[in-house]
Amino acid sequence: MSADTPVRVPPAGERVAVAMSGGVDSAVAASLLARAGADVVGVTLKLWCYGDTDLGDRACCSLSAIDDARRTCDVIGIPHFVLDLESHFGERVIDRFVDDYLAGRTPNPCVLCNQHVKFTALLERVRPMGATWVATGHHARLDPRGANGPELRRGADAGKDQSYALWSVPRDTLRHTLLPVGELSKDAVRAHAHEAGLPVASKAESQDICFVPDGDYGRFVAGRVEVRAPALDPGPIVDVDGRRLGTHAGVARYTVGQRRGLGIAHEEPLYVVAIDADTNTLVAGPRAALARRGFGVNEVNWVSVPGLADERRLGIKIRYRHPGTPGLVRPLGTDRVEVVLENPQDAVSPGQSAVFYDGDLVLGGGVIADRGEVASPAGVDAGGEERGQGASG
Amino acid sequence: MTRVYLDYNATAPLDPGAADAMVRVAAGAAGNPSSPHAEGRAARRALDEARARVAALVGARADEVVFTGGGTESDNLALLGAVRYLRASHVVISSIEHPAVLAAAERLEADGVSVSRIRPDAHGVVDAGEVIDAIGPRTGLVSIMLANNETGVIQPVAEIARAARSRGALVHTDAVQAAGKMPVDVDDLGVDLLSITAHKFHGPGGIGALVVREGTWVEPLVIGGGQERGLRSGTSPVAMAVGFGVAAEVAREGLDAHAAARGAFTRRFEARLHERLPQVVLHGAAVDRIPGTTSMAVPGVPADALVAALDLDGFAVSAGAACATGAASPSHVLSAMGVDEALIRSTIRVSAGRTSTEDEADALVDALVRITARMPEAAR
Repeated sequence: MSADTPVRVPPAGERVAVAMSGGVDSAVAASLLARAGADVVGVTLKLWCYGDTDLGDRACCSLSAIDDARRTCDVIGIPHFVLDLESHFGERVIDRFVDDYLAGRTPNPCVLCNQHVKFTALLERVRPMGATWVATGHHARLDPRGANGPELRRGADAGKDQSYALWSVPRDTLRHTLLPVGELSKDAVRAHAHEAGLPVASKAESQDICFVPDGDYGRFVAGRVEVRAPALDPGPIVDVDGRRLGTHAGVARYTVGQRRGLGIAHEEPLYVVAIDADTNTLVAGPRAALARRGFGVNEVNWVSVPGLADERRLGIKIRYRHPGTPGLVRPLGTDRVEVVLENPQDAVSPGQSAVFYDGDLVLGGGVIADRGEVASPAGVDAGGEERGQGASG
Repeated sequence: MTRVYLDYNATAPLDPGAADAMVRVAAGAAGNPSSPHAEGRAARRALDEARARVAALVGARADEVVFTGGGTESDNLALLGAVRYLRASHVVISSIEHPAVLAAAERLEADGVSVSRIRPDAHGVVDAGEVIDAIGPRTGLVSIMLANNETGVIQPVAEIARAARSRGALVHTDAVQAAGKMPVDVDDLGVDLLSITAHKFHGPGGIGALVVREGTWVEPLVIGGGQERGLRSGTSPVAMAVGFGVAAEVAREGLDAHAAARGAFTRRFEARLHERLPQVVLHGAAVDRIPGTTSMAVPGVPADALVAALDLDGFAVSAGAACATGAASPSHVLSAMGVDEALIRSTIRVSAGRTSTEDEADALVDALVRITARMPEAAR
């Protein structure tokens, strides 16, 4: 697909708010919509404050992202506003992020943000502005002609596809959502940005979680905890048979699949195989012990279909950069499933998202359950992590 | 689309007469007012005339006016300068002061000065008695604003000043929002230091003044060539001062007429608002305010979105006080008044100017009704 592909716009008389992060993808999303004749306003969401002061939050107002978005809107010729969704983000994303780490899980805050803030809360917030649609710069496609409403599909640029982080967006919200750059390759996005003279055309991509810019999740979590949390205290590292191997610095500082930072001399490399937050215990083992075939998935949202009636063979992605692997998805009620993979995977981290694909189509997704929540046929666990999954440029 | 500007408390457009005068000076012969030649003398004359006009607006003597870079610098100079000069160990302020005063007080605190912050009542009025009670033998300075920038509520500065001076403390008032909108007279107020800025009454941005009464001294913040009686070094910006002077004169001569226009707008606006959107909450409506300022909340409609919606409909208003980047900070003023957090987040400020009309008030109410109708039933 090229930049000449017609861009879907809202029906005449309806306004769209483009969530502008200050990056190139959302800038091009706004530019494409404006060129296609849509009534567009740019909005930048104030989600997180880097420097609280006693005088309120003026210190963080000057973040360059806001300035970049504003300058971009000036070039496009559309209004730009800053909307404060900090309290939504704090409650729905950051609190959950901290709780998950303290529970030994590896959360995906971009998924939570897309679920609660970037789409749904934004759509509600722009309502007084007469905007009934939201658009973002995510690399994913939304086909409005699905039999049961909009269908979410992988972005045209396989290398940049962000559909993994969008499974959580409620279907009612998706009916009022546009993803204008999903049809474009990243090269085409950059080319459009240069051609349109957008000031962020050459801006580098951000990969870190937006509210932990230094990537030190352990320190961030520790800084957010008001009372003493056992998950931040040292505790035992044991092998898969329960033999003590050493001492860790607090389970909240580790991720399943992690190899570095265990501080144990062993004949073969050791990985974090499981985390038991209840006893503040890390289980370490060889790489072979990471492989996992079966796991439960909670909080399932069927984003493109009404639901799954029967067990079905689908492509399953267990982290952002995961290529996907075939497996059976068995519904357990409306919002839980059990997954049995055909090939055991090394990187099944509780708290990360499992997303179910039929080719390009995203049927739905959910949050990988803690080990033991659902009977695990292979009996072994796996790990790995990836950051910046849903960061919309 | 016609634009209706109703954010005069943020800034007021440059008076055409002031603009003309500034251009004449700026484009005319060069001359540093400190220079001894004819060009310098001409610049000095223009500067003196401007100083006299600014002084007249607040009932001061011309040589009591110290030109500064604006209201923030004036407030900084008053607090830091007076307390450092006096080597005082205690100051009294209110908790609804402008950040220029609050931040200066924090700086003093970091230097070991103790600061008493008096909270307002639910109407936004700082009780004179509470301020006076906080004044002790070690108190060097009392700083209470004359009119609040967010609510427009007028504070009992004269009463406070009488008591403070009898106890030996200096008194500063931030009159940035009051000057040009209500009668301001340093003798009537009885203050030692008073801050104003030009752009709030149609003068140029970037120039203000601190009135330093005779016999009062402050330690300068900007030092160098000793201009402005040594209280603010730097070559005086003659063209800016001339614009400031013209704007001050226009404001003084038109004070009653301008106040009447602002007042008429506000009365009409608030009456129509009450009829058509009875759920709207006004802050400080039961007490004396400078004419033209309305602080209001539409419950259920976040202020950032409401300001954006009004902008898209052609109306310029603000969410609380203007912030550097357009993001609204939760108002410390409304918090101090005890206003509910959700209402604070729904509060906007409508501030009228001398050319605002009742038709504009009606049009704004119409727009608010239209915007509110977009919300789900529960929020209406």
